[in-house]
Amino acid sequence: MTHAPTDPQPGERIYRHSIAARTAHWLWTFAMLVLVMSGLQIFNAAPYLDASYKTDPAHRVLAFDAYTGPNNQPVGTTTIFGHTFVTTHLFGFTDDGSGSEGPRAFPASITLPAVQDLADGRLWHLFFGWVLLIAIVLYIVVGAIRKDLREIVLRPSDLPKLLPMQLYYLRLRPEPPPHGKYNPLQKAAYTLVLFVFIPLIILTGLALSPGADASLPWLTSVFGGRQFARTWHFLLMSILIVYFVVHMILVFANGPINNIVAMITGWYKLRDHDGVGA
Amino acid sequence: MNRKLFVAALGASSLAACSSDVKSQLTNTFRSQLSVAQNLNEAVIGTRGMAKLYRESDINEPFRTNGLATPTDTRYADAMRDDYRGYRLPVDGLVERPHTFTLAELRAMPLLTQITRHDCVEGWSVVGKWTGVQLATVIAMAQPKATARFVIFHCFDKDDDGTEYYESLNLHQAAHPQTLLALDLNNKPLDPDHGAPVRLRVPTQLGYKSAKWVRRIEIAATFPNTLLSKGGYWEDQGYEWYAGI
Repeated sequence: MTHAPTDPQPGERIYRHSIAARTAHWLWTFAMLVLVMSGLQIFNAAPYLDASYKTDPAHRVLAFDAYTGPNNQPVGTTTIFGHTFVTTHLFGFTDDGSGSEGPRAFPASITLPAVQDLADGRLWHLFFGWVLLIAIVLYIVVGAIRKDLREIVLRPSDLPKLLPMQLYYLRLRPEPPPHGKYNPLQKAAYTLVLFVFIPLIILTGLALSPGADASLPWLTSVFGGRQFARTWHFLLMSILIVYFVVHMILVFANGPINNIVAMITGWYKLRDHDGVGA
Repeated sequence: MNRKLFVAALGASSLAACSSDVKSQLTNTFRSQLSVAQNLNEAVIGTRGMAKLYRESDINEPFRTNGLATPTDTRYADAMRDDYRGYRLPVDGLVERPHTFTLAELRAMPLLTQITRHDCVEGWSVVGKWTGVQLATVIAMAQPKATARFVIFHCFDKDDDGTEYYESLNLHQAAHPQTLLALDLNNKPLDPDHGAPVRLRVPTQLGYKSAKWVRRIEIAATFPNTLLSKGGYWEDQGYEWYAGI
């Protein structure tokens, strides 16, 4: 794209992320790490998901199990929509965090705490749920006041640019379509995460609560009841993990030092094809 | 011959704990810092509204048991004899008029039936039909004094170390119209596994608040008179006292 003479040129540094945005970004990064690991700890206490308002094996979508196999060897299994896979040592029969293995859906290496301790898992989870909520609210409120959110939220005018941008990523097009600070695919991803996936993961978590179900009965009902909400909560976690992996791939593909420095100091060094902002 | 390991593990844990007995390496100071979220949750969610009511067709039969094993206490054996004719439920402590109820007296009171969901802290839930006396009625008869804040439920069951099960609610939670002293489950008097003859039923909170085998109700200004008490058996194991979430 062409730049107006006053626009910063590739190679110049621009102030890209406000202090509030950077603080919120690192807060929710840490919060999500804790929430995923403590969430897997909590999940281990009932290692199955049902598409039903109550526990119902007839509507089971995911289950981890362990049994003693023919040669007296323990077997761990993962069952997805009725299809069972042997996942011994990985899922179902795994490291219990105290030097041996046992019937345990997710292994100690990815749960918080490592040993099976539901009470402490809940303490971590319920505290960092608030950290995530506060970080997201901080980001959105400061972003709205500073008008930074305009750069991030996907608009109808961005929709025709999504395909050209994807073609550029696939090297089927030499140049990205003209865009602002963030390209249309980034805007789509950030908009989904900020305004759809994270609010939904907070709401589905709340929907699991018998107290919230009593005071806000519509909340649990819209997700199909308590156990269904637990299934959505887990699915949303999986989506956010996929988002995180793609986010890391793109950061590393686009100059990891520059991107990480920018998210720490705020200053980003412009590269070719970068949009410069409104 | 596939012996289910999870079933074996759950069998053991139904005696020992909702989770296994391992404790992580957190210090209690750090735990108490994390548990500030509990105050926020209680302030935001609290005990408001009514637990969802289900239909007859939603009922789970048999109803999954949870918590500690059926009491082996001789006091429980005495109470059970002759169809619980020896059972007495004292309501005492900071009250103007201490009461002691027999099972027949409780059954003669106005009974409420409701089909509600039992949400275990482990993450599963089952639906049951509960019939019982509103806790509020029993407490009102005893007339709590002005300094009273908590209702403590002392139970017959003990863990392997001999620690007695107990639970507590504040007066606001105890006064919730759906908080029951349940006598029947799914149209039958409670059986010993489900907390016979009287158990607490708190559908607005997680299952561990719904104490089974209640043997005494104490109205108090503080948690039981031990410095280390956090308000209940599971609370003393690290679970939150406010179990609405």
